[in-house]
Order: sequence, then structure tokens, then C-alpha cells
Amino acid sequence: MIPLIEKYKVKKLSDIKGQDLAIQEIKNFLRVFPKKRAIILNGPVGIGKTSLAIAIANELNLELFELNASDLRNRKKLEEILRPSIEQRSLFKKGKIILMDEADGITANDRGGLPELIALIEKTSYPIIITSNDIWNRKYSLLRKKSLLINLKELKQEIIINIINEILKKENKKINTKTIEIISKKSRGDVRAALNDLQTLLYLGEEEFISDIYEREKEEDIFNVMKKLFQEPTKKETISIYNSLKMELDEILLWIEENIPREYQNESLYNAYNYLSKADLFKGRVYRQQYWRFLLYQNFFLSAGISSSSKIKTKKFVKYQRPTRILKIWLSNRKNAKKKSIATKYAKITHISKKQALKDFFLISLIIDEKTKNKIRLENDEREYLEEFKQNTLSKIN
Amino acid sequence: MENEVSIWTEKYRPKKFEEVVGQEDIIKKVQNLTKSLNIPHLLFAGPAGTGKSTLALIVVKELFGLHWKENYLELNASDERGIDVVRQKVKDFARTKALGNVPFKVIFLDEADALTKEAQQALRRTMENYTSTCRFVMSCNYSSKIIDPIQSRCAIFRFKLLEKKDIEKRIKYIAEKENLQIGEEAIETLYENSEGDCRRVINFLQASASISSNITPDLVDTLASSAKPADIKIVLEYALSGDFQKSKEKLLDVMLKESIAGTDAIKAIQREIWNLQIDDELKVRLTEKTGEIEFRIVEGSDEFVQLEALLAGFVLAGKGIIK
Repeated sequence: MIPLIEKYKVKKLSDIKGQDLAIQEIKNFLRVFPKKRAIILNGPVGIGKTSLAIAIANELNLELFELNASDLRNRKKLEEILRPSIEQRSLFKKGKIILMDEADGITANDRGGLPELIALIEKTSYPIIITSNDIWNRKYSLLRKKSLLINLKELKQEIIINIINEILKKENKKINTKTIEIISKKSRGDVRAALNDLQTLLYLGEEEFISDIYEREKEEDIFNVMKKLFQEPTKKETISIYNSLKMELDEILLWIEENIPREYQNESLYNAYNYLSKADLFKGRVYRQQYWRFLLYQNFFLSAGISSSSKIKTKKFVKYQRPTRILKIWLSNRKNAKKKSIATKYAKITHISKKQALKDFFLISLIIDEKTKNKIRLENDEREYLEEFKQNTLSKIN
Repeated sequence: MENEVSIWTEKYRPKKFEEVVGQEDIIKKVQNLTKSLNIPHLLFAGPAGTGKSTLALIVVKELFGLHWKENYLELNASDERGIDVVRQKVKDFARTKALGNVPFKVIFLDEADALTKEAQQALRRTMENYTSTCRFVMSCNYSSKIIDPIQSRCAIFRFKLLEKKDIEKRIKYIAEKENLQIGEEAIETLYENSEGDCRRVINFLQASASISSNITPDLVDTLASSAKPADIKIVLEYALSGDFQKSKEKLLDVMLKESIAGTDAIKAIQREIWNLQIDDELKVRLTEKTGEIEFRIVEGSDEFVQLEALLAGFVLAGKGIIK
């Protein structure tokens, strides 16, 4: 199956939705070239910046020479690749556009990449289109000065909805308008994200997808927070580390409890559990005394406390796990519910407490025979449970 | 109806005063009280399986004869959470008049020492309010856990642990009725595992008999050792060896499988500390921490989080580090 995002890749300018203004600007830029030699399309991910460049090139029958984030952008590499393409004329097409994708991805590792790009802008005989997510950092000030800057906004929700509907029509699929609404809203103007979600939805089915979407979002966030908490040095901001999370402190506590042993050993482990247990202590006090200021301490121990438990911070990959304890307790309670109901029925006719019957359940499982089962009116599922328990008991003895 | 029961603790529960083994003095006194058809409130204090419930049942049956079920309410304080339930049930029951010659009904409140002091205060009022229509028979392990005002309203009887000869007598009687082969040695083993608790002895006997009618000491011993809940010791050993994750998992496993509450788990840990192969100073520190953790659990903290914090302390202790 071809991913939707590939299948419905933009080819013509008319395929591009909601960026009419930007299209005008680019066309203008190309017309007056080389008045300005580069244009920066700055804006959030997935709104069609790269698609714009591709569509324009197709429309004007220009060859697109593309560099993206995965290419090394050090001076040498840039020189090697860019220079010939700037100096040679394209064989089959009239002209060329150079696309420098995700220019703000040029990092400290790509030493000299940025000055080289600026040098190229000064010399190029072909228009350069630069895309970026956030060009406002000071280190790009020179780049900004040399280029025409266009700020693109995220797409409006209606536009995303239109795009989804159009694709659904072509795919001959139907989904609930409510679901489309959810996808479009969640995408926050990012077409790529919306299409990826649509793909998952068509694959999973609507119901599962929706519950999945919420879980995934929550988990991605908590994973990042766990990483920050355990692996970054403790600083003032650590205290507000949970502010951005849509998760209750009580649930966060469970996440930390589950994952401390995956990060800390020995003394750090001891310190971390010490703070965790203190946080829990204050949590209890909040409930009992209804004194909400104690939340502050609960939060403090869970953030700065846990973070400062280890002096040495190492960046490593840790596979954080979702908390399993509550699930285990729930499963065990469900199992124990049958044990309890049997014990209750047994206790009733033997003048003992339910608690006593539970304590003696091991013996009782052997004592209850068919006659007793009928007398205390065991249900079928209780009979099954009892039989299983009894076999278990017997296998322990032999 | 009664004869249909195939649970031996019920099948062989004494139905007349004369059938009860041990506690001769108490039986005689209670029997005389019952004959007068006007009993005071009664408080039976003593260890488990010594005949408290049995005696209470005999009293009611003697008093009411065939109508005993209509005039008798049995409540177990350790199951009835909250005194409100007790009071409501008592009220509903006491509201109607007794059937037959006896002018009152009987409420048997088992394990009354499980009630909190506050609940007992409330109960005392209830006892007074319904004194013309109701008599209370209460049982408890320790009479010191029953508040004075209640004690002073009751005739108190203190049950002793059953003697070996009494329990032997009972075992032999049942073995004969049920066609079991059982030797002196097996009887001895049963007694040792029962701690003078007659109900426990009979339960062990019946459980053994469900496996084989030839009751051997081995059979009883295997049953007894399997009946013991899984060891919290393993949890501590994992922690001391430095494997925190395993220790943590085992703790949850043991607590869930055996339905052990946090307060019970911490008691077991506290008892185990002195048997550990570690430095004495560490033992003192660990016990200190255990005390703090027990306090927190009793106060209502999350038992798992607190116990895990304690286990982390054991991990350090295993490396000889004092914190």
C-alpha cells in the first residue's frame, strides 16, 4: 500500500490549498529575480512549504535541485554538490530552482554550512528557495537580510477537512464527520500529520483509532517528560516540568514509580524512592486534610526531588514503560472477586467471618464437595474458579 | 436439614451442652443461665476455635427450640464495616417481638473486638435501647479490646485453649464416623499444626481426608506447609542481592496472590530483619526505617510506593551502605 502522503503528493500549484498568498509572493520573487536571490518560506511543519517549491518548479517547467535535512551541510559537502549545479546549465529544462529544505536544521555539527549558504546566495545564478520552521534565531539574521522572508501560517481547519474529504472521495471511503473533525483539529494545521492519521484510521478502524490517538498523544508527552526528568540536570525549570502535561500528578507518580529502576541504581535509586515516598505522603495529606497547598510539595518532590536524586546525568536510550501496577491489581481483584464471593457463601453457613474464610481458603477449596457447592449455591463461574484453585492446590502438594 | 451438611466443622459441631469438649466450668454456668430462660448479655473471650460460637448457638437452640432461627441474628464485626450497618440490622431485627415463650431475641456479635472504640460506644447505646427485646452474645479474642461500659453490662466467660486430650478425643470421634485410618503420630501432627484451634484441626482433617482416607503425618505436614502464605523473605533477598526490579515485582506478586495488605507485609518484613545476614547496625537502621514506613502506611499512604522505598533501603544495606 502506498502511503497516502506519497500517493497524494502535490504536483501542480492548483493542488495546493490555502497558500494563495504565498504562491503570489513566490511568483513575484521569481519574476524579479535576481533582485533578491533567495526566498525563505518560514512556517510550521506540514503546511506545504516543500510542496510549494515542487509545484512551482513543475508549473514553470524548472528543474528542482533539492537538498534536505538528511544531507550533510558542512562547507565541503555544500561546495561539492551545489557549485556544479549552480554553474552548469540544466540539459533538458530551461532553468533551475535550488531548494534548501529545513535551513534551520543546519546545526553546530554542520560547521561552516550557514556561511557557505550565504556565500552561495550572493553568487547564485538560480533562485534559491529556503524553507524553515523558525528562522528568527539570531544566528540567521544575515541569512534573513540576504533573502526575501515570507511567513506562512498553519492551515485553517476547514482546509484540512477539505483535503481529507477530497482524498476520501478518491479512495472511495467514508468516515464519520465527527472523526474528520477530530483528525483535523488534532493536526493543528499540519496536513502531513492529518494524512498520516487518516492512514492509520483507515487501517485500524474508527473506534480503535480514536482511543489510540489520545493514548499516543499522552504517552509521547510523558516519554519526553520522563527523559527530561531523569536525564537532564536539575534546574529551576525542573519544578514546572509537569505543567505542559495533560496528566494528573497521581498518574505521573505511577509513571515515575514504574521507571525509576530503569534509570537509577543504588544510592540514586534510594534517593529517588525516598522522594517518591515523600511525594506520596503529601498526596495523602492533601486528601485527608483537604489542604491543597501540600500539592506544591508533592509536585516538588516528584520533579526536583526525583531529578536531583542522581548527580550524574547520562544521555542514553531508556525504554520507559507505562505503569503496570494498577492493571495488575485490577486483574487480581477481578480474580479475587470470585474467591471472595465463594468465601462469603462458605462463611455464612459455618459461622465464621469472610476474612477467616479467605485466610483458610486453601483448606476450604479441598473441603467443599459437590454437596456443599449445591448447598451454598455456587454459580457456574464460581465452580470453575474453585476447581481451578483446587487443582492448583493439589499440584502443589504432589 | 442440618444433617445434610458435609462440612465437618458444621457436621460435628456440638449441638448440646453435653457434647462440648473442654471448658467444663463455663458450660455448666451458661447451661444454668439458659435453663432460667433469662440470660444476661454474654461476652465470650478466648482464642479461636475454642467453642465460643458453638456455645452461643447451643444457647439459642436451647432457648428457642424449633423457632431458634427466627429469634437469632448473627453478625460478624470483622465483616460488617461501620457501626451504622450493625445498628441498622440490629434495629430492624429488634423491632419485632420474639416468637415463643422467651420475651427477647438474641444477637450474636462475633469478633466484637474488631469494632473500633467509637463503634463500641455506639453499640453500647444500642444495647441499652433494646435491652427489653434483645440480648447480646458477643465473642472476642481479647476482652481488653472491649470497652469497659460494655464489659460491665455483660457476664464475661474466658475460654481456654483446648487441651491436647480434648482435641484428640474429637479427632478420634470424627475419624471413626468417617471411616478414616489415622495413627497416634498423625493425630500429634494435626494437633501441632492447629495451635489448640479445634476448627483448624477439623479443617485440616477434612482437607487431608479429601486426598486420602489414610491420614499420615506426611500428608498433614505437606498440607500445613503449603497452606502457609508465600514468603516475604524472598522479596528481601532479591533486594539485598541488588536486584531491585525483581524484588519489586515479587512484592506485588506476593501481596496480590495471597491478598496480603501492606500492613501485614510490613509486619512480616519487620520480623524478618533480625534473621538477615547483615551487620547489626544495618538491622537497627532498617528497623527504624521500617517503623517510619509502617507509620505512613497506617496513616493511609500508598502501600506499594512506601514499601518500595523501604526495599530501596534494603538494596543499599545489601551493599553495606548505611543511610
